[in-house]
Amino acid sequence: MNAVAIEAPTLGSGWSLWRRQIAGILRLEIKKNFLSKRALPMYLLAAIPVVIMMMLALFDRGMRRGVRTNFAEAMIVFSNLHEGLILRTVIFFGCAWIFMNLFRGEVVDKSLHYYFLSAVKREVLVVGKYLSGLIASCTLFLLTTAGALFFLYLPRGVQANLDYIFNGPGWAQITDYLGITILACVGYGALFMVIGLFFRNPIIPALFVYGWEWLNFLLPPMLKKISIIHYLHSLVPVPVNEGPLAIIGEPTPQWIAITGMLIVTAIVLFLASMRIRRMEIHYGGE
Amino acid sequence: MAVYQHTYQHYAGVTTPLWSRFLILPRYAFQGVFQSKLFTGLFAICFAPLLVMTILIYFKHNTTALAAFGLSVSDIGFNINGFFFRVFTNIQTGFGFLLTVIVGPVLISRDLSNNALPLYLCRPLTRTDYVIGKMSVIGFLLSLITWVPLLLLFFFEAYLEGASWWWENLFIARAVLVVSWAHIILLALLATALSAWLKWRIAASGALFAVFTIPTPISIMVNEMFSTNLGTLIHPSFVLNLLMDKLFRLESGMLPDWMVPPTWSLWASLIVLALICVGLLSLKVRAYEVVK
Repeated sequence: MNAVAIEAPTLGSGWSLWRRQIAGILRLEIKKNFLSKRALPMYLLAAIPVVIMMMLALFDRGMRRGVRTNFAEAMIVFSNLHEGLILRTVIFFGCAWIFMNLFRGEVVDKSLHYYFLSAVKREVLVVGKYLSGLIASCTLFLLTTAGALFFLYLPRGVQANLDYIFNGPGWAQITDYLGITILACVGYGALFMVIGLFFRNPIIPALFVYGWEWLNFLLPPMLKKISIIHYLHSLVPVPVNEGPLAIIGEPTPQWIAITGMLIVTAIVLFLASMRIRRMEIHYGGE
Repeated sequence: MAVYQHTYQHYAGVTTPLWSRFLILPRYAFQGVFQSKLFTGLFAICFAPLLVMTILIYFKHNTTALAAFGLSVSDIGFNINGFFFRVFTNIQTGFGFLLTVIVGPVLISRDLSNNALPLYLCRPLTRTDYVIGKMSVIGFLLSLITWVPLLLLFFFEAYLEGASWWWENLFIARAVLVVSWAHIILLALLATALSAWLKWRIAASGALFAVFTIPTPISIMVNEMFSTNLGTLIHPSFVLNLLMDKLFRLESGMLPDWMVPPTWSLWASLIVLALICVGLLSLKVRAYEVVK
């Protein structure tokens, strides 16, 4: 009887394998990010700016800064809301929750070892998890920004808005706000993922980052550049007044802000990959 | 006596009074809390501002000691008044918040995640006793750094100044007591409620911070955009600070006048927050849990 050599199924190698593995991780993680109980606080947080803008649209007539009567003033109000509430609060805390949970949440659930025992390079796992967090955060917070913008424009009527968007500066402003939101998710996401990997208790570093970002307007120009909000602030289409105590710094050109943010994100992801290669799980310590 | 004759007999010794049974919980909790050197260090640091306060009160009334430093009473640029006590009450309640962040998140979560709640509730301890017992851990710790030493310093100052100062400034003692207890009850309720719902310690700590930080831009935005002062009511820290200003009979320096709601509404917002916490606790603290 002749023995028949059975060939092992080929899994592919290199990029094609990694792409398939990342797609598999994305399928699992996106479901977790959107449908788990942990996603509920995110939905509530993301809804706050939309609800505020909806109230402004509904009760527009009596307002001091009515959208119908003074649209230029309303744009300044929206710009403040976008930076003060959406960027500095909703996206900051939202990304902190989503991205810190990517690894720390698995440790708490005692399920990270399933990933570590599977035949997936840990760097691929980092990229897959980061992309899943990015998809979740971008989807959620783009909807927040778009929803808030919708209620900003709503009271003016269809014709006035079409004119403003397609024959005026409206379209550029909308794309700028949405682009800044994506960039914020990219930057804060990478930062919080690496914090979640390096620190067992990520609260203290996260609070330090929060304080640093909030006090950015008081920092000298050189130190301002070591923050995410500075680059996002440089990109806003309607400038935000930072108050009488602010130290005014030169805004960073758009191409430097975007490229710089992407490069920093790549470096942070590289650090996360280095970290996870040596990571050992101690569930008992949590 | 033969073994088979050892039948069940009711305990005939002295029993602990019903009202004080919850005290067993803080007794064991403190043993665990003070095992941490970091916590013990922080707890010691909490007394540093009180020491500074004592020295300032002492120097204000001791011309001999001042003369040793070449100073006179007129060189000291402050008075011992409502503002003085307000500043130190603020510092102490701030420390109290930090202690709560360290101690609070694990109070109930460990019992829930290890399914230990039935072990407590099968004993003569009600759910209310259990929650009060857990809250009293924070209550005792925060009392030791807030109203107890601050009132002692108030009496110290009254002793040095005389009876007229005591009578004129009795509102300070009332303010210290009310503000401290408002902080203690609110922080204890928030910490235990978050501990019961978020079993991950770090998430509970983060949520406690978030309760006091996330509402800042929201309340300011709501106030500014709708020209109202209702936004202030959603921020526990604003509410507590405004109450502190009112009780110490000071002008509000934190927010412009038009953003300051009436006093009754400040109390109402705190009561609503406390009731929400009580509701969350009553939903979660049960002897059994149906896991679907």
